[in-house]
Amino acid sequence: MRKLVWRNLLRNKRRAALTVASLTLGVMLLCVLGALLQTFDPAETEASENRVVVRHAVSLQFDLPEAYWRRLESLDHVEVVSPLSWFGGIYKDTRRENFFSQFGTDPETLLAVFDDLEIEPEAAAAWLAERRSFVAGRALARKHGWEIGDEIFLQGEIYPIDLNLVLRGIFTDSQDEAQENQVFFHRDYMEEALGNPGQVGTFWLLVDDLENVPAVIEAAEAMFENSEARVKAETEQAFVLAFVQMMGNVELLFGAIGFAVIVSVFFITANTMAMAVRERNTEISVLKTLGFGRGHVLGVLTAEAMVIGIVGGLLGVTLAATLLHLAAGALSSELLLFQTLTLRSDVALLGLAAALGIGTLSGLVPGYAMARRSVVEGLRKVA
Amino acid sequence: MSDPVVRIQDVSKVYGGDRLRVEVLSEMNLEVAGGDFVALMGPSGSGKTTLLNLIAAVDRPTSGRVIVAGQDTSQLNESALAPWRHRHIGYIFQLYNLIPVLTAYENVELPLTLSRLSSADRRAKVETVLEVVSLTDRKDHYPRELSGGQEQRVAIARAVVTDPTVLLADEPTGDLDAESAEGVLRLMERLNDEFDKTIIMVTHDPRAARHAHRFLHLDKGKLWSDSEEAAMGVDGAASSPASEE
Repeated sequence: MRKLVWRNLLRNKRRAALTVASLTLGVMLLCVLGALLQTFDPAETEASENRVVVRHAVSLQFDLPEAYWRRLESLDHVEVVSPLSWFGGIYKDTRRENFFSQFGTDPETLLAVFDDLEIEPEAAAAWLAERRSFVAGRALARKHGWEIGDEIFLQGEIYPIDLNLVLRGIFTDSQDEAQENQVFFHRDYMEEALGNPGQVGTFWLLVDDLENVPAVIEAAEAMFENSEARVKAETEQAFVLAFVQMMGNVELLFGAIGFAVIVSVFFITANTMAMAVRERNTEISVLKTLGFGRGHVLGVLTAEAMVIGIVGGLLGVTLAATLLHLAAGALSSELLLFQTLTLRSDVALLGLAAALGIGTLSGLVPGYAMARRSVVEGLRKVA
Repeated sequence: MSDPVVRIQDVSKVYGGDRLRVEVLSEMNLEVAGGDFVALMGPSGSGKTTLLNLIAAVDRPTSGRVIVAGQDTSQLNESALAPWRHRHIGYIFQLYNLIPVLTAYENVELPLTLSRLSSADRRAKVETVLEVVSLTDRKDHYPRELSGGQEQRVAIARAVVTDPTVLLADEPTGDLDAESAEGVLRLMERLNDEFDKTIIMVTHDPRAARHAHRFLHLDKGKLWSDSEEAAMGVDGAASSPASEE
């Protein structure tokens, strides 16, 4: 029986290959869309809900006065505030693989606000003690082969200064490996090189309790409402997703595309299977005459379609994983969000299940009709 | 005469509804004894193939009973009929109807895959019947690599490999040249003589019918005679309807 299924699959190799290819492309697209949706999904980000980001109300392009730091610390329910300033320097050259996030910060408050960053106490102490030092994420350090004590040179592009930094610690983030693709150094060192302009990119606030977050956001915005540099305060999740929301309702869009793709692939596969089954009308009647029951016939035809589904699904998932890996590498320098772009097992399983479902249904529908068809009717086609 | 393995009792077969009613078989009665070789002749549309299909239980009579190997097939539902056919019916088609993606060996083995035989037992049976039909040297060939006569011999091997109670052949030589047809007919004769197979063969060809022991003429839904004249296609066929009971 297995032999019959296998040989029938290879009976028309071109048709089988094209059907598998259509399924492969459909599943690949579904997986890519699913992975993108996960990347953009607030619930899927590792962003903390009790961290609040305060930035310039107009745009991230504009810095805030350093003086806001202490005033924000004075807000009720705010435990600690840490400044982050984007440096955006060139490491080695302008090639994308050498791009990574570089932030000037206050080490002590940073480690308090981002308590999910794990670093050895000795390394943290060494970083705190030396103004020219920096810490790097484990993934980034591995990528560039950095060891403790190594020096890196960052050529300023936004700012008219260059930084020469020495690595004193490597941090990890078990919750979100994407966070390991950045470096933090002393903002004081950067400020000093710039002539102490007293500017900060963003302030990160740690709120004592989740339920106090709305009040802190409201208070922070109110505090600077009539100042020269008004602020926008939002949760870390909202901050991360602000980039994505600029693209519109991606969930609806991607969902609609994914649904349309799967439905189209189902019709293509079902039509191909129906054609393949119709062509074998007489053969199936012969099988029944030999003693094959309806269950056997249905089993053979469905098994063929399921094999096509499984092969198409596996190829689609593999292709999607490869594509996403390449895209993550190529696009993460454009948008940090893409650092987390990967094919997770639940999306891969969804793709495989869709392919298997399409295959099974495509075989079941014509198979059931053929299994119930009169033997005489099938034999009459030849006689 | 041994006990009948096929018993047709008052069988009628009508196609179509009230407006377009075609009675293909009309109150037919027939008995075929075990080990018999029957040639069923008649003009096109006379109901020969319909009768064969009723015996094979791939079709059901409108009225009457078809009893094969002691079983009234109208009493069996579709799921019971499939294993019953596997056990009792061997069917040979005019156009061979081999499965093109399987080799000669695999085509013959196909019905045995439904049984609980071990692969060694299956192999032994397939090789035996391939030897009987003189195709051992062609067992690995696909149908497209065989001549018409060879294909029909594979089809015969497939039909007999399960050792069925009745062998039904629908124009088995209808698509063959004279030499191949003669080879196939001799093979069927041998199956009947040496292996005591009960054979019912539909044919248009009087020369083919001569290989049978008994000749039946079917016309306008009725079984007419049981004589050598019927096999020769002469006027004797148009005598009185023959009750075979």
